[in-house]
Amino acid sequence: MSITSRLKNRLIAKLITHYPSLAKGFIKAYAPWESHETIPWEPPTKPLSECKLAVVTTSGVHHHAQEPFDMQDNDGDPSFRAIDGTTIGGDFRITHDYYDHSDAEKDLNIILPLDRLRELQQEGVIGRLANTHYSFMGHIDGRHIATLSGHTAKQVAEKLRQDQVDVVLLTPA
Amino acid sequence: MGLIQREIEKVGIASIGVSIVREYTEKVQPPRTVFLRWPFGHPLGEPGNVKQQRAVILEAFRALYSITIPGEIVDLPFRWRRHDYESYVEPGLFEP
Repeated sequence: MSITSRLKNRLIAKLITHYPSLAKGFIKAYAPWESHETIPWEPPTKPLSECKLAVVTTSGVHHHAQEPFDMQDNDGDPSFRAIDGTTIGGDFRITHDYYDHSDAEKDLNIILPLDRLRELQQEGVIGRLANTHYSFMGHIDGRHIATLSGHTAKQVAEKLRQDQVDVVLLTPA
Repeated sequence: MGLIQREIEKVGIASIGVSIVREYTEKVQPPRTVFLRWPFGHPLGEPGNVKQQRAVILEAFRALYSITIPGEIVDLPFRWRRHDYESYVEPGLFEP
């Protein structure tokens, strides 16, 4: 994707953030994968005060040292980044041209609410907050829908399971 | 995002998603969702608005325990920049 079209995407993202009604055409044009399978169903079995919680976000946030998400591929980047919850607040970048992240740069909690979740952990509302969280870039399309659901999302699910996470909160952008 | 949520739930982990585009969520059908008609890039609200961010998280937890129909979407009553969070009553215990 050329620099001009990346700039165009960023401009559109800014306009849509401030005038949400403009997004309607965008939403209609983008046809997400439609499910015909049974909806997976695993309701929580323990009180939240005994659960370990992790966050998965599709806001394109990552640490400075990590490879940025690929903004050149029109089908998006289906890879993920592991986020260290203890350091991300002071060490983050957002790579995502499809939304205006200037507010999220002012306060990361609006896309990855780790400060709020830490407060809830201290109050005993949540049993334990995981150290590792996961970040994707949303806006996956075309051939990468299969990469996401068949590979990278499965890998993250397995990592969360190995980390004995009981509950996952997902936040978009 | 809903696709990822489905894969997470498939390995036995309970999940709750925040959505700001109801049309996508209706198509992808993740197990449980709270929806807000808010601008892109602001699923938890405005920068620095601690009460607002906390309210969204607590409502997500409430939905995590109260949704009984797979694929259900709960529409949260918070209006963008027009909601008074001072009068928000926090839910009690989150238990199955």
